[in-house]
Amino acid sequence: MNMYSYILRRLLYVIPVLLGVCFIIFIIFNVVAPDPAYVLLGRHATIEQINQLHKELGTDLPFWNQYLNTVKTAFTFDFGSSWSSKQQISEMIKAGAGPSLTLTVPLFIITFIVSISIALLVSFYRGGFIDKFVLLLSIAMMSISSLAYILFGQWFFAYKLGWFEIAGYEPGFPNFIPYTVLPVLLYLAFSWGPDTRFYRSMILDEVYQDYVRTARAKGVGELSIMFKHVLKNAMVPILTYGIIQIPMLFLGLLLAESFFGIPGLGNITIKALNTSDFPVIKAMTILSALAFIVFGVITDVLYTIVDPRMKLK
Amino acid sequence: MTEKVEKVLEVKDLVVEFKTDRGTIKAVNGVNFDVFKGRTVGIVGESGSGKSVSALAIMGLIPNPPGRVASGQILFNGKSLVNMPAGEMRKIRGNKIAMIFQEPMTSLNPVFTIGNQIEEVIELHQPQLSKKEREAKAVDMLRLVGIPSPEKRVKEYPHQLSGGMRQRVMIAIALSCEPDILIADEPTTALDVTIQAQILELMKKLQKELGMGIILITHDLGVVAETCDTVAVMYCGQIVESADVKTLFNHPRHPYTKGLMNSIPSFDSTAGHKKERLQTIEGMVPSLFDLPAGCNFQDRCVNVTEHCRGSLGEPILRDMADEGATHLAACFNPLKKFEGKGL
Repeated sequence: MNMYSYILRRLLYVIPVLLGVCFIIFIIFNVVAPDPAYVLLGRHATIEQINQLHKELGTDLPFWNQYLNTVKTAFTFDFGSSWSSKQQISEMIKAGAGPSLTLTVPLFIITFIVSISIALLVSFYRGGFIDKFVLLLSIAMMSISSLAYILFGQWFFAYKLGWFEIAGYEPGFPNFIPYTVLPVLLYLAFSWGPDTRFYRSMILDEVYQDYVRTARAKGVGELSIMFKHVLKNAMVPILTYGIIQIPMLFLGLLLAESFFGIPGLGNITIKALNTSDFPVIKAMTILSALAFIVFGVITDVLYTIVDPRMKLK
Repeated sequence: MTEKVEKVLEVKDLVVEFKTDRGTIKAVNGVNFDVFKGRTVGIVGESGSGKSVSALAIMGLIPNPPGRVASGQILFNGKSLVNMPAGEMRKIRGNKIAMIFQEPMTSLNPVFTIGNQIEEVIELHQPQLSKKEREAKAVDMLRLVGIPSPEKRVKEYPHQLSGGMRQRVMIAIALSCEPDILIADEPTTALDVTIQAQILELMKKLQKELGMGIILITHDLGVVAETCDTVAVMYCGQIVESADVKTLFNHPRHPYTKGLMNSIPSFDSTAGHKKERLQTIEGMVPSLFDLPAGCNFQDRCVNVTEHCRGSLGEPILRDMADEGATHLAACFNPLKKFEGKGL
């Protein structure tokens, strides 16, 4: 009961945060940004055309009214239509969410599990050969730009070896797999390094604690000490770091989606940026702010599950 | 000590070495002692004298590297524990030989319930018990160590208990497989004085009920006087004096033992109008990297003579008893009888 009221209260915080997000978006797009009429109509537009467009877009209204309109879109999810494609933005988001999820969900789960497993392994053999080798490898692999991974992967695995599709997408369960495996693997290659380093240091913080010595004195095996006693204690920082990556993934996959031609939200955002499609960019900004808030709440609730000392207030 | 008692543990010439950047040190250097069923051995000494390392060596928990048991033997019911395969040693740890630690606040895992932590050790060593039986046993153990309303407490987490209660839980974990030996490494150091007495009382009571041998490691001679049958005084990794508790307190022969006793504040000294200054042992424990030739205690000793400086080599433990019971001390110039403070 306590948890539900906590979640409800945290979700109510969404309101002021969204108002703030809307204010920043409003300042950027309605006050600071160039007049959208010049973007849309080009330099040879007539005064009448410009005035007409201002009326259509609502940019002739006073600023407070424009701000209210921005707020309205955020709370109704009615983002209007795209300037460039004239599609309803909410429809575009619905269409893009599927491909994005088929990419990000497996990618997040696989990276999380692989990084934690490697971190446990190197913590277990801390200071030994494996630890040093993995350190070297991870630093080498995280020093290479993600672009290099994408280009090399597409050229080598998709073009030369023909194991995967170079780019493109097909909806439906087994159909998308040939298109998403390569980006998932390339992302893993790029991100396991820093993740493993972080998880390793969190785990090593726990390995020397007194309760580990107690567990040994009880006769608990080393493997069980690592996976049961140590991992559960290291879970709080691991969750914080891991879960907050989910909304960032959504933004971070901008590049991957556009390189691999996956018609997801990242791809939509990139296109909108290229064409100065303000309503789409606004919609994406609001959505990612929402994602951060929601995953923040999820993290807080998970804390109380892994650590009984944490109480939701 | 007239009745025949069963010897459960024999530590023989134990040497534990640690490799460091500055060289190899012997944290424990030729230690001998026995543990008997139903009896308590006290190991006393200042910080760094090798008490805890000896205990960890018995448990097979010396961090290796940098540490290792370099030589000597640890015989548990006649079986050697040194270099025992890890799997076999795990079956003894927590089962036949259990240990409780100095830090009750941090020794329990904060994210598991105390019931869970007691059940874990039962599950490991008595896999034939069902989950229900394990749960019931966890409650029984909590009741045994005097935790009120144990049925409720099993579901609680360590942070919901006080330090004294946590140490009781540690004792419950240690005793749930009815070990032959309980090693208590400064079990009361971190606790309030009143709680200290309760915990010691509890350990004595449980020893009577379960009949285990206890190795009590402490720097507090008061605790030793209250609970131990025999005492070994350690200094720089060696035992410098050992005897049964009465003999040691009544007639200490090693100047270091006497120094330790004089450092205990007594009520008599504060009762008079003139307050005595509390006596301390002058000087500092020598570094294990740089031990002097001869007796390790020479620079702090009031009775130091020429042969203590190395002309006669190192002092070895000699029997100094006049009547029956053994009383070993490693000193060239031991104290005369009746110089002790007495019990």
